[in-house]
Amino acid sequence: MNDSVKRAAELVRSYDGRQLRVMEVCGTHTHENFRLGIRGMLPDRIRLISGPGCPVCVTPVGYIDQAMFLARERGCTVCTFGDLIRVPGTDGSLATARAEGAKVQMVYSPIDAEDYAGTHPDEQVVFLSVGFETTTPASCIAVRKARERGMTNFSLLTANKTMDNAYRALKGSADAFLYPGHVSTMTGTAIYRELLAEGVSGVVAGFTAPELVCALAVIVKMSEKGEPFFVNCYPRVVTDEGSPSARRIVSETMEPADSEWRGLGVIEGSGLKLRDEFSDFDARIKYDVPQIQGRANPGCRCGDVLQGKINPSDCPLFGRVCTPEHPVGACMVSSEGACSAFFKYDSSR
Amino acid sequence: MCVGLPARVRQVKDGVAIVDATGARREVSAELIEDLEPGDYVMIHAGAAIARITSDDETEADDLLGDLLGD
Repeated sequence: MNDSVKRAAELVRSYDGRQLRVMEVCGTHTHENFRLGIRGMLPDRIRLISGPGCPVCVTPVGYIDQAMFLARERGCTVCTFGDLIRVPGTDGSLATARAEGAKVQMVYSPIDAEDYAGTHPDEQVVFLSVGFETTTPASCIAVRKARERGMTNFSLLTANKTMDNAYRALKGSADAFLYPGHVSTMTGTAIYRELLAEGVSGVVAGFTAPELVCALAVIVKMSEKGEPFFVNCYPRVVTDEGSPSARRIVSETMEPADSEWRGLGVIEGSGLKLRDEFSDFDARIKYDVPQIQGRANPGCRCGDVLQGKINPSDCPLFGRVCTPEHPVGACMVSSEGACSAFFKYDSSR
Repeated sequence: MCVGLPARVRQVKDGVAIVDATGARREVSAELIEDLEPGDYVMIHAGAAIARITSDDETEADDLLGDLLGD
């Protein structure tokens, strides 16, 4: 640890100003702040609260039900990131469907799902396209590749989300946001400057110990001035302009749509769906997937956790009925989920 | 939303890069970064190189804190 990082750590440790609520928008920040011991070094006056930036966690139950419908009723091969397999739907999870004989494949990327479809022409392959600005470009690349190759057995079940309106929906929940580092590689920083003009404070943060400590030190220092602020604390990776190539690929392939977020409800214009010219790759259209109003376990408080209203340990199911082995809510399943982080690292539970 | 893996680019051809990530070699999309070249360090997410890494985190801390604390 160099002198700058030591000074930053001291600045954070010795903070005794007004109470600061800092929202970790990104689930990876929640996990890393625990894992690296940063949460443990904070004074009482700095409170970290978890936010909605875990794509698996904010995906609503009805989406899981639609994926189950495709696997069970339409005989599709469902390709997905591993975390989604164990998220409970209204009636079991994709793991349940797989145990019953449905085809559910775990993949590392949407491009791998498209490759799988190419090597299994006798299967109808659907990729569960969840994710924020970081992940969506890869889904768009996969669809464009499939179209170039003339494939007819690959499609997306989209639940892609964008963060702009979610920040606005949550702006009273925290004194400052730790903005998600890798989402910002795509968006650039213009959105944060717009939010700054609306009085919203935050810093873009990286994921190593020096980066997280420095980001918190910047929040402490800037908060002293009592004015809204924005600082890019991850400039070695995040540029002001972000990735114009990624934004172009996404805007040419998808268009904005209203989207339902677990816990936050429907946020206008916060989702993405495939454009009409790519409708052959839209699983909802291709397989006539019905709208399904999913039902979560009524005791599950994932919705409140995702809005920073409660800590996971305040949920009556946490650690008793709901554990990583037997998850009730999405936030306990995902490797980015706040409940999973608290279960794994919070020794006070 | 933000799980990323740092990697070094070994080869770039036709929008695809071969990268070394802590010893593992993998093919990823190079379409999201302009003019990617062998030797560049990048962040990988979901099968795509999403950004160049331009320095290490302690140098970044020096620059950031220097500005903030008026060094």
